[in-house]
Amino acid sequence: MTVCTVLRAPLHGPLPHPPALWNRFMIELPDLVAGGLAAGTLSALALGGGLLHSRRRLARQQAESAALRGRLDETLRALTAEVEHLAARRLPAAARALAHPHVTVPGPLHPQTAGSPLGHALDGVLQALRVELAAQQVRVDAAAQAGMRGATREIQAALYRLQDALRGLQQRYDDPELAQTLFELDHENEQSLRRAQVAAVVCGAWVGLAREESHLVDAVTGGQSRLAGFRRVSVHNHLRPGTALVSHAVEPVAIITAELLDNALRHSAPDTEVIVSLEHVHHGVCVTVDDAGVGMTRDERERAQRLVAGRDPILLTDLGDPPRMGLAAIGQLTRQFDLTVDVSSTSPYGGVRAVLRVAEHLLSHIDPAERPPAVSAPRSTRENAPDQPEQAVRAPAADAPDDTGPAAPADGARAVPALPVSGAPVHAYGTELPGAASGDVPAHDDDRRDTGGLPRRRRRTPTTAAAADVPAPRGVAPQPPERAAAALGALQSGTAAARAGSTPETAEPTNDTENEGETAR
Amino acid sequence: MTARPGGRPLVPAYLATGGTARHPRLRLERLSLLMLSGRPVPDGLSPAQLALLDELADGTLTVVEAAALLRLPFSAVRVIAAELVDRDLLVTRAPIPPAERFDPDLLKRVADGLRALKH
Repeated sequence: MTVCTVLRAPLHGPLPHPPALWNRFMIELPDLVAGGLAAGTLSALALGGGLLHSRRRLARQQAESAALRGRLDETLRALTAEVEHLAARRLPAAARALAHPHVTVPGPLHPQTAGSPLGHALDGVLQALRVELAAQQVRVDAAAQAGMRGATREIQAALYRLQDALRGLQQRYDDPELAQTLFELDHENEQSLRRAQVAAVVCGAWVGLAREESHLVDAVTGGQSRLAGFRRVSVHNHLRPGTALVSHAVEPVAIITAELLDNALRHSAPDTEVIVSLEHVHHGVCVTVDDAGVGMTRDERERAQRLVAGRDPILLTDLGDPPRMGLAAIGQLTRQFDLTVDVSSTSPYGGVRAVLRVAEHLLSHIDPAERPPAVSAPRSTRENAPDQPEQAVRAPAADAPDDTGPAAPADGARAVPALPVSGAPVHAYGTELPGAASGDVPAHDDDRRDTGGLPRRRRRTPTTAAAADVPAPRGVAPQPPERAAAALGALQSGTAAARAGSTPETAEPTNDTENEGETAR
Repeated sequence: MTARPGGRPLVPAYLATGGTARHPRLRLERLSLLMLSGRPVPDGLSPAQLALLDELADGTLTVVEAAALLRLPFSAVRVIAAELVDRDLLVTRAPIPPAERFDPDLLKRVADGLRALKH
């Protein structure tokens, strides 16, 4: 700065002319010039250096910003590509994956996006889409189910009316051709009913029919009758007679049995049988359905088990096209009625073993003498285990065949094949009859001869009436009136004595009863 | 017994006969009489056939009576009974025919003939 003012003074200001000063000035001039020049050069150098430096910095910054812009562009392109990829690939895949779990949702386009905030944001988009789609699907499905429920309920009611009409006609007309047609129509109607009912149940409807307490074997046989291949089903009933279902469990058990049997029949060869056995288990009853079919793969089995367990809500769209409703209906019913179905094991016959377990609280008891099970329901193998003594009563009635036997002697040669008439007891149901084991009990001997060793159903009311009057004319001689009077008198005095002195001595009443017994005899 | 105790029956009638209502050979009437033949009962009879044999253990019944006792339509019991007759387990007897009215024309002609003889 000082240098500048020194330099400027001689150029612009009026020249100072005092000689001393001038001289000194003149002497010092070259130095000054040299100094000024040096300073100028220095400053110019400095300025130029700074300029150069800033130039260089600018260039560097420009390059840097260009690089940054390039990277930004690149990132933007990458982001765009990522979003495009999301829209074009990932979103549709995620939507499809909801319906078809085997569809894999692709990851982001660039693997490094996966862990980045962008990756998380994009995943958030997918997640939101999934949630919304699932909710949407449930809404749509609920609407579809409601529609179907309404329709099937109407159909079901109509089919029940048709069933009533057909059964009325069956009772009224007996021309064989017509009866055959009516049977076929009834069977067709049962099958349609089953489908309508199952569809309704899958859609969350009630089973559609109130029944009263029924024999369990009736429910199973009823389920059997609803299938096209019912002739291939053989039911083995090992239940105690009178084992019944409480009213609200009857129809569900029939439906579940029908669906399990339908599966079994569908997945086994048409010349094989499907075996159903009814057995008591701990705290309940099991209905076991065995088929000799091809079985299921592990995946199918898992899916089936998931469906019948009834834990997940059912979506119609999950059931395939055409919808396979059987297992889903079982799932609904098991959940609603506290039944248990297991399809996870393989049958000893090679196919699937399905087990329906009915818990104790859904069981009840019906006196089979009062309300016998349906005529076509298989009889229990335990049927006459408890009432062996009663059969002795029936023996006289069963004697009758001995008289009519010779009536058809010509057919003796082709008589019923290979049946030892009086030999070892032969019966159709198994060997657990106590009477069969102890062949030396005389009381059962003639009984078995009459029935061919077969367990026979116990007579109901008509026989008991007959049993009352059979012994009178046959075995026992008619009582003289005095003895009858004595017996009645003894009874009367006995009850009177017991009433009068109920507490004091025990000897007397026992005496009385002994007396009564003797006189009665 | 005729009234349905449980409302709609669970087990339809066609199951009793395996779905058939026709028998190729035998045609039983409603009032055909059924009685046991006395042969030992073999294995492999259907539950409905066993039930019918049971009902007849006490004696003779007509087909309709058996149908009422078994709570089945007549057309089903007819087939069951016919199958059992085929296996010689049942004996059937034709229904006792109801007395028929005489043909009035014939009577009139006989009367006319008698009168003509008299003259």
